[in-house]
Amino acid sequence: MKLTELFQRKEFVITSEVGPVKGCCRNGQPEFVQEAKSLKDYVHAVNVTDNQSAKMRLGSLAASVLLKNQGLEPVFQLTCRDRNRIALQSDLLSACTLGIDNVLCLTGDHLRQGDHPTAKGVFDIDSVQLLSIARSLNQGNDLMGNDLTQATDLALGAVVNPNFQPLDLQLLKMEKKLASGAQFFQTQAVYDVRLFETFARKTEDFGVPIQYGVVIIKSPQMGRFINENITGITVPQWLIDEMAAASPEQYKDKAVEITTRLLRQIGPMVQGVHFMPLGWSDVIPRVMERLRSTCQCGG
Amino acid sequence: MIATTKKLLDEILEAMAGFQKVGLVGCDGCAKVCMTGGADEVAAMAQELKKQGKDIVFEATPERTCNVVKAHPVLEPLKDKMQDTDAILVLGCGGAVQVARQLTEQYGLFKPVKSGLDSVGHMDMVVAGQVALEQCQECGECILNDTAAICPVTKCAKSLLNGPCGGSEEGKCEADPSRDCAWVLIYNRMKALGEVEKLKKFVAPKDYRKAAKPRTLYIKEGRLA
Ligand code: SF4
Ligand code: SF4
Repeated sequence: MKLTELFQRKEFVITSEVGPVKGCCRNGQPEFVQEAKSLKDYVHAVNVTDNQSAKMRLGSLAASVLLKNQGLEPVFQLTCRDRNRIALQSDLLSACTLGIDNVLCLTGDHLRQGDHPTAKGVFDIDSVQLLSIARSLNQGNDLMGNDLTQATDLALGAVVNPNFQPLDLQLLKMEKKLASGAQFFQTQAVYDVRLFETFARKTEDFGVPIQYGVVIIKSPQMGRFINENITGITVPQWLIDEMAAASPEQYKDKAVEITTRLLRQIGPMVQGVHFMPLGWSDVIPRVMERLRSTCQCGG
Repeated sequence: MIATTKKLLDEILEAMAGFQKVGLVGCDGCAKVCMTGGADEVAAMAQELKKQGKDIVFEATPERTCNVVKAHPVLEPLKDKMQDTDAILVLGCGGAVQVARQLTEQYGLFKPVKSGLDSVGHMDMVVAGQVALEQCQECGECILNDTAAICPVTKCAKSLLNGPCGGSEEGKCEADPSRDCAWVLIYNRMKALGEVEKLKKFVAPKDYRKAAKPRTLYIKEGRLA
């Protein structure tokens, strides 16, 4: 099922995210598949990250297929960091062939923070170009204009970071992604409601569905770690303080409370939500149940 | 210029192991500017190798060792001395080492030619005698006219052509927060120039044939192959 069909039906689209395991999965069911399965009744689809943070893992396409085989709807994340234009196009053909319906086109994190910092980054093309290439494949042609025996049929997603300063520069890129074929957007994690409001206001005329992205903050330490080490996301002091005021056994309850509150405030501004639980997927059912009980959004 | 750094002495000694009589070739061009292979550094290396028990047969520092026009007139008269060496150590960029090797072959010599430096980029001196920056990687189809004279191919850590990634924070680059995000620089300058609209244009994937190595330039025809 393509996410675009859900957006067309005016569904509030809920996705989460899992990171493939660092290892082969020939024997047994890996934990990330279990994790995704536990969300089956709560989300429309599950993103599968692509060697996230430049850490080498099971490929996102293979992992997406594992989810598909379990009856889940994967969103195959595809980055430009590790593949040139031939490999990217080939992987898009493979994805569609293997039954994938949704692909999220990204540039990819830089290698510097990964577990193979000595590798050569590819970055042959950028995310805007990737979207335009994926759109061509959907129309039956490769980048060089050669005919395909069969066109792909993929819903194309992209990402945007509302935290970016200057925001207008990020929006300029977002518009280019839109013009190049992006059909929906998932945002980077945002915790500042006012900031998100500005972003939502500036993008409402774009007419493209946007899913609010939220990383579940698991502890005050994690909040501080993100601020010190992860660029592009800011965890506000109020959130860190609120977590710190709870005892460690209560962190998960707090995470549920804070995430629910953020969604109540930001949900009405967007067409969906994208959770990045980083292993704490059990927070999502609790958040969704709370939201359903108050029918604010995501019902 | 081609920027260079010195190899560690141990690495040089390993490369020169077994060669008693050594000829030293520096470069009074870029390597001099980088303080890695000018006449002074060649003299210092000669001292060091002598301390290690080697014999220095000759020292030479052409003005541009990567250029046969400059290197040949200096090295040709040293042919006999070169013949007398067990190996030649070049304190120059990778190009200088290979031009020196080519000249020895031209002189009918078959001598090991070794490198004492690491070449680290085509760089521009931006703070006199202190800081050199890599700003161009000779991609073969220059887009500076469209990017306010700031090169995203080189100065953006991901060589993005259509705008920034999402990783920049406070104007700094995701890959190295000590560096400015090239796209924030480009945007600010385009804005000041009243040219932001131009950034909305889709930039197609680059034609990397123009950057495919090794390239040859036929100077008289201005032809690249
Ligand atoms: S675009 Fe950048 S890399 Fe290419 S020639 Fe111009 S300055 Fe050099
Ligand atoms: S932060 Fe800026 S310079 Fe660094 S990789 Fe991203 S766009 Fe390029």
